Amino acid sequence: MKYCDKCHVEVRTNQQYCPLCHQVLKGEPDANRIEIYPEFVPLTREVLPLTKKVILFITVVAILTLLIVNLAEWDGRMWSLIPIGSILYTFMVLRIGIFSRQNIAFKLAILTTVLIGILNAIDQEITLDANKGWALNYVTPLSLLSCNSAISMIIWIKRINYRDYIFYLLTILVFSLVPLILFAFGVIQILWPAVVAFGAAIFILLVIIFFFPKSIKEEIHKRFHM
Amino acid sequence: MKQGQYANDWFKLDNAAKIFPAISTKKETNTFRVQIEMTETVDKDLLQLAVDSVLERYPMFKVRLKSGLFWNYLDHNELPFYVQPLTHHVCGNLNPKDHNGYLFQIYYRDKMIALEMFHSLADGSGAFAFIKTMLYEYLLLKGYRVTPDNMVLTRDSLPSKAEYEDSNLTYYDPNNHKHVHEDRAFLIKGTPIADGNIGLISGTLSAKEVLELARSHNSTITEYIATLMMYTIYITHIQYREHLKENQKPVKIFVPVNLRKHFPSGSLRNFTNFIKSGMVMNRSDITFDEILEETKRQFAYGMQEKELIRKMSENVSFEKNIFLRMTPYFLKKFVLKIGYKKMGLLLNTLSFSNLGRIDFPESMQPYIDRISCAVYSGRYNTVNIGVSSYKDVFTITFTRSIVETTIEREFFRHFSSKGMKVTIESNYVEEY
Repeated sequence: MKYCDKCHVEVRTNQQYCPLCHQVLKGEPDANRIEIYPEFVPLTREVLPLTKKVILFITVVAILTLLIVNLAEWDGRMWSLIPIGSILYTFMVLRIGIFSRQNIAFKLAILTTVLIGILNAIDQEITLDANKGWALNYVTPLSLLSCNSAISMIIWIKRINYRDYIFYLLTILVFSLVPLILFAFGVIQILWPAVVAFGAAIFILLVIIFFFPKSIKEEIHKRFHM
Repeated sequence: MKQGQYANDWFKLDNAAKIFPAISTKKETNTFRVQIEMTETVDKDLLQLAVDSVLERYPMFKVRLKSGLFWNYLDHNELPFYVQPLTHHVCGNLNPKDHNGYLFQIYYRDKMIALEMFHSLADGSGAFAFIKTMLYEYLLLKGYRVTPDNMVLTRDSLPSKAEYEDSNLTYYDPNNHKHVHEDRAFLIKGTPIADGNIGLISGTLSAKEVLELARSHNSTITEYIATLMMYTIYITHIQYREHLKENQKPVKIFVPVNLRKHFPSGSLRNFTNFIKSGMVMNRSDITFDEILEETKRQFAYGMQEKELIRKMSENVSFEKNIFLRMTPYFLKKFVLKIGYKKMGLLLNTLSFSNLGRIDFPESMQPYIDRISCAVYSGRYNTVNIGVSSYKDVFTITFTRSIVETTIEREFFRHFSSKGMKVTIESNYVEEY
């Protein structure tokens, strides 16, 4: 065993210098000794963080360019919202949909919500008056419907993980009621997409209530306990 | 046991655990490590089997952290748990995503088994109960004749409510939760180690000699070591500069207390509180004995049952505050972060965890060589120590997030100058 004659301590590891005072140690290293602690391995720079940075950089530059061109050549309309919306959405698909390690129901729920938001913004700003409302009338209920069915399919196929997903499913179900309420208040005019989305939501809700009554109650209790 | 066998397979975070998810970062990891050196090389496949069979016995550890609207909670985790080879990281950030959501990890290397655990799951006692069951199962799988001798929870027994309850909520007193103001503590400053690595220097002494040394000063080991820490900080960082403004703050040692010894609790989750010794070092002639007297007085005061209950109730009443409870978690996080920094981190110079004497059944002892424990150190509490003893091996483990090792040096030289045999080991951080 090695020995530090300054600190008067024995050193159990194959150190060259005393860990305490950094003086050279006396004694021979034990050749057969397996080190207690593994050697230091420096953190290797990963490709992923750089990719993320590049994507963020391109997104920011593209959005700024579009905004500047739009404002410099101002013709009374925010036409740049269409490309900016798509760029933002692409960015989120890459960051949340692909790079993030969240569960897939969360990804679907978030991306659907963002998509609905962006399309509605484009609808409000850009569309000519005669065609206004397509985003609320068609896109909102139908994308909620597809998100609903996607999450339900995943739960159905990967049965074991339904606990992770059921919360997001419930959130989307609640959202699905919104188009119908909007119709009741006269904000949207086309009834059938709202009814289809609402019908599907009620159907899925009934399936959960009938077949997994406990899990829905527990999930709400877990998520909202104070 | 199959999933769904328990009506209750999710757990609210206990009182102490609630704060850790909000405040933990890459630098403040809030993890601790228990290291066990066996007498033979560890068989990783058998270790894996042992952990698999034992995890079902500990439903409070077979969980993952999930977020709710008001509080996080621990939800049953059905994914498999894998033991991993040890890396050079000590008490690093346990990213649950790298461990199938588990908040603890078991490492193996040569003769060593190390358990690293996030503090939200349990404290040292809970972790040790788990380790005992795991080692018992591991030794059985290796084919040795070991017996539990009522010291080990075997996997045949059933988990009970008493084991996963939050004992803080059982023993607190709603009428005794007065907040007592504390001054900010002296903080040890130094050069941060790159990449958030933590340096570990561990010294082994003879438990008998340490006990004799402490007895000769009419003190317990905890009092003696806490005093020695304060004295070491004093001579390395304060003496002859005691008139400077930044050195007027008291040096404070934070010592966790296992409340299971004071209240009849069988909880395997967090049930600890703390005592503190503190002293303003504003003279150049402070002696060791002077600090020891002060430490003894403060520890005796802190260990009074009334005082322990007061500290427990203070935390519980904070948790039960209706405004805090009604705040959504993403906002609450900021409150907890600021509160913990101001009322926790900045009030301690260092923390000193004494796990005390660790007992194993006699039949298991021949296979276990030595045990040590370590706690993380972060941005403010740059040096922390963990102490444990097993048979005659008394281990003092320093973890540090700074390059300087002056405190460790003076601390161990104190023992070696008294003619005691000190054996040092280190995880090489100082040779990078």
